[in-house]
Amino acid sequence: MRVLVVTSRVIKQIAKDHRFLALSVVGPLLITYFLKLTIDALTPVGVSGRYDNLVMPVVAAIVFFLGYILCLLALVRERTSQTLSRMFVSGFQRGEIILGYLFGFMGLATIQAALAMTEAYYLFNLSYSHHTLAYLFLVIWLLAVVSLSLGILVSNAARTEGQVVPFIPLVLLPSLFLSGIITNGVDKLPNWAQDVSYALPLRYASDSILSLVKGGSLGDIHGSLIGLLVYGLVLLSLAALTLKDYE
Amino acid sequence: METRAAISVQNLTKSFGSFAVLKGISFEVPTGQICGVLGPNGAGKTTLIKSLVGASRPSGGEVKILGNSPTNRAARKEIGYMPQAPALYEDLSALDNVLFFARAQGLKDAQKEAEEILEFVGLKDRQHDTVYTFSGGMKQRVSLACALVHHPKVLLLDEPTAGVDPKLKERFWEYFRKLAKQGVTILISTHLMDEALLCDYLTIIRGGQILASEKPQEIMAKGETELRIWQGEEKESAKVFHYTTALPSLLQAHGLDPKISKIEVQEEPLESIIVRMIGEDEV
Repeated sequence: MRVLVVTSRVIKQIAKDHRFLALSVVGPLLITYFLKLTIDALTPVGVSGRYDNLVMPVVAAIVFFLGYILCLLALVRERTSQTLSRMFVSGFQRGEIILGYLFGFMGLATIQAALAMTEAYYLFNLSYSHHTLAYLFLVIWLLAVVSLSLGILVSNAARTEGQVVPFIPLVLLPSLFLSGIITNGVDKLPNWAQDVSYALPLRYASDSILSLVKGGSLGDIHGSLIGLLVYGLVLLSLAALTLKDYE
Repeated sequence: METRAAISVQNLTKSFGSFAVLKGISFEVPTGQICGVLGPNGAGKTTLIKSLVGASRPSGGEVKILGNSPTNRAARKEIGYMPQAPALYEDLSALDNVLFFARAQGLKDAQKEAEEILEFVGLKDRQHDTVYTFSGGMKQRVSLACALVHHPKVLLLDEPTAGVDPKLKERFWEYFRKLAKQGVTILISTHLMDEALLCDYLTIIRGGQILASEKPQEIMAKGETELRIWQGEEKESAKVFHYTTALPSLLQAHGLDPKISKIEVQEEPLESIIVRMIGEDEV
């Protein structure tokens, strides 16, 4: 049950750090609002466009980026402050620490996903059935969980906060350009880029979301959902294997 | 009575790249003893302690804590570790920090244990305050509380009293001595000579090697003692080793002169002896 000991500590830390909490909540809301401003600016005057193919995939990307960065920084801070090393000496196992962190940040990721989705839904006057909304939330939430796993894995490669910086654009920008979010699917990308996109969790989420907003059902996206789930499990396993419990 | 070594280090080496921090260190600390580790900055004290708790993997050699590898789960339950840096969650309260490590060790009455140890380190009144607001010395005290809360059998403390006021430091040492009497084995790295004298053994390291591993009294005996013999207004000084042996022959030389009015004995301080030992080896 030491997973829960880590989880409750992480949740307590998030709850007590009001500035961090406020920024984590306001961040997705503000960025989603900026998305609205950008799309309005790009839309010719007098044209009433629908942006189903863009809005929800971008919302997913926002949640993905924030989850990844927050978890990455939190774990690197744990390493630099030597509390990670102290946890190992106190008997924590690698899996307990990783799952504890994952569960601890899951609540925040869920809130971020719900807030960004709700805001986008009303700002862009979107209209989906309850089922579609629920499935969209499931996909975005699952992506958020994967983003936390990715943050945990990447944190293992950085010893200092400074070393984290190159890892942020290295993961985020290829995800943005090659996952089909901007290009409304990966079909128009060169074949090699489509192959590369399988290595990006956002591609699976983007495929699912695009299918759902075009009227698809759960049956249509189960392949991408399983892909996302497997991706998350692989990331967690790799994170557990690479988390160093010594210098 | 022969006591089993609670801490056993055999030919321990640790290198970072081509730089060797520990170069074949071997020593043992018997159960219930306090071993002080002394040495200049960069001597390898912190790396040694990290190797003892399993936070740093040795490049060679072997470390045993209570007969087990320090990474063994059973051994880790018995280890209390206080790193040099406070290693605390600064955005949590002192109590939350201690509770976290108490619960990590599966203490049944973690809340009570955590509150008691915080009272011992003199932070009962501030236990609900965020660690971020604490001074360096107070953070050290919280860190020590985290190391002690689960009543470990082996304590490995990296400069535990740095920044702690003298009164509290005295209290800590009384507690360490009490723990040692109860069979707890303690290894402490320190720069403070008054603390070194309170240890049962001193291990002096420099450049990743052990220069001496002896009782403080044995090291003190290596010091030069200045004897000042007063005959009326005249003073004669002599620097001798082992003054208890040298004094009778010196007095003999004076023919036990009845004019001897005063004999002053100025022992060399431990710090000076250790600095000399380290310096001599460097030549």
